[in-house]
Amino acid sequence: MALLDEIQQAVIEGQSKAVVSNVEQALNEDMAADIILNDGLIKAMSEVGRLFEEGEFFVPEMLIAARAMSAGLDLLKPHLVAQGIEPIGKIAIGTVKGDLHDIGKSLVAMMLEGAGFEIMDLGVDVAPEKFVEAVTNGAQIVAMSALLTTTMPNMKATIEAVEKAGLRDKAAIMVGGAPVTQAYADDIGADGYSSDASSAVRKAKELLGV
Amino acid sequence: MITSLMDLVNNTDHLPVVPLMGFPGIQITQTSLKQNEFNWGTQFWTLSELAHHFQPDGLFTFMDLSVEANALGLPVRFPLGESPTIEYPVVRTQDDLHRFYKMDVLADGRVRVFIETMKLMKRHLKLWRGGYVIGPYTLAALMMGATETAIAIIDNPDLLHETLTFTTYVISRYANALASAGADMIAILDPSAVMLSPKQYRAFSGQYTRQIILQMKALPILHICGHATHLIDEMVATETQGLSLDAMVPLDEIAARVPENVVLIGNINPTAVMVDRSPQEVYKRTTELVQAMKPFRNFILSTGCDLPPETPLANIKAFMDAGRDVELHVDPAQHIRPNMTLFNEQPAWLRARIARNIEDVLAR
Repeated sequence: MALLDEIQQAVIEGQSKAVVSNVEQALNEDMAADIILNDGLIKAMSEVGRLFEEGEFFVPEMLIAARAMSAGLDLLKPHLVAQGIEPIGKIAIGTVKGDLHDIGKSLVAMMLEGAGFEIMDLGVDVAPEKFVEAVTNGAQIVAMSALLTTTMPNMKATIEAVEKAGLRDKAAIMVGGAPVTQAYADDIGADGYSSDASSAVRKAKELLGV
Repeated sequence: MITSLMDLVNNTDHLPVVPLMGFPGIQITQTSLKQNEFNWGTQFWTLSELAHHFQPDGLFTFMDLSVEANALGLPVRFPLGESPTIEYPVVRTQDDLHRFYKMDVLADGRVRVFIETMKLMKRHLKLWRGGYVIGPYTLAALMMGATETAIAIIDNPDLLHETLTFTTYVISRYANALASAGADMIAILDPSAVMLSPKQYRAFSGQYTRQIILQMKALPILHICGHATHLIDEMVATETQGLSLDAMVPLDEIAARVPENVVLIGNINPTAVMVDRSPQEVYKRTTELVQAMKPFRNFILSTGCDLPPETPLANIKAFMDAGRDVELHVDPAQHIRPNMTLFNEQPAWLRARIARNIEDVLAR
């Protein structure tokens, strides 16, 4: 459908205003909100992820595409609620205690939202207790990032806090960040690791079986 | 007469070995990161202990990406045991940026720490002396916010270019102050640039980095950590004399692409190998790298990035043994203690400053 193609293209090009006006038009033409979401926004973000993996898109392009997607999603949210459409999962994300570097975390959050997840963005410098609280509030995945080797130990501290609260089986835990590796993730008992925002989406879907 | 980094390497009759180490020295001097970052007597003492125990060909000061931003007046957090971090960005408009034009970073206390440390290194250490400055794009990202800066490349390039012109000026002044203090070489650290495309790098970092390099009165090295392979050609275009690269960059493949007079520096993994592995494994991995780079004269053995404070000293020893092509000696009972002869040779004012630390260490 031409309008859905235009929405996709506008997201990929990071044209927030065009996304908003095209989504408005689609809604006015009685297109179902979940169709606009899945065949417009999510499909576009999937393409953005592919372009990143192919080395054609870099972080600036991903950020403006995600911003454009977000603008469209904001318009759709009340319609999705009215339609009874649920997100495919709920993810709490933040940088660990002591770490203020958030660009990677923000990019992953945007890509996950663009894939249909509901995001609880806990921000930066997040204490283990806050991640635990997020699980209590329904987070099915806890996603943690760290840029400094000195803050990485707080990943394990968070996993231990979740275990101590008796909630380990309630949420999968995934980790990422420049100094983090698969081996480190395995060592600390995380369920998943991803090296960039695009593969984080695949990992999150795999962890929830969606 | 040494006119280039390649000259320096050519005048050495062995493979130069320069691990990027400052932080692990706190294990020897039993000091905190913050004490080394704020006190040049302490930082010099820590660096001199590292120089004495490991005998590298060159030594850099502590790596600290907050120095220039702090000197400008940005909000900075200084944990005792972690690197300082900028708490939040402060530049959203041209007016915000212009408020920083009045700041002379060379009159700042922490900038002075690194300049004085370099002067002490020149006076007392017989090895190549390295200083660090931040890269223009990374400093802009600290001032404007990392996300906002990346978006500004597309949405607000004018503000970003003005900020970059300012950061270039600031960094150039600091670099030349370090050179005057005795730095033989200065590494420009631009980690935030790794997320850019080659074209974006050229426009928003490379052309500014080149200006810093052309004005630099010390040997220029460019360091971008992480997956920087896609930026190599643009990094060479800055006219840097050295490329300091992280573990994920295949150095031997890159060597075939860069000019023979650009020195490749690196690239043992500072965490996954130097922290997490045994001395035997460090020795093996380092030996493998040395062998792979044997065909290339333009090489300095180093680590992919700065070593974390908890890096086992035995691993640094293993790294050095491999670089020197000697057998690995691992002494589990080895306890590196401060060198009292070296301590006693220091001027009275410096000894007085660190005396309390010595008493604590000797008491262990």
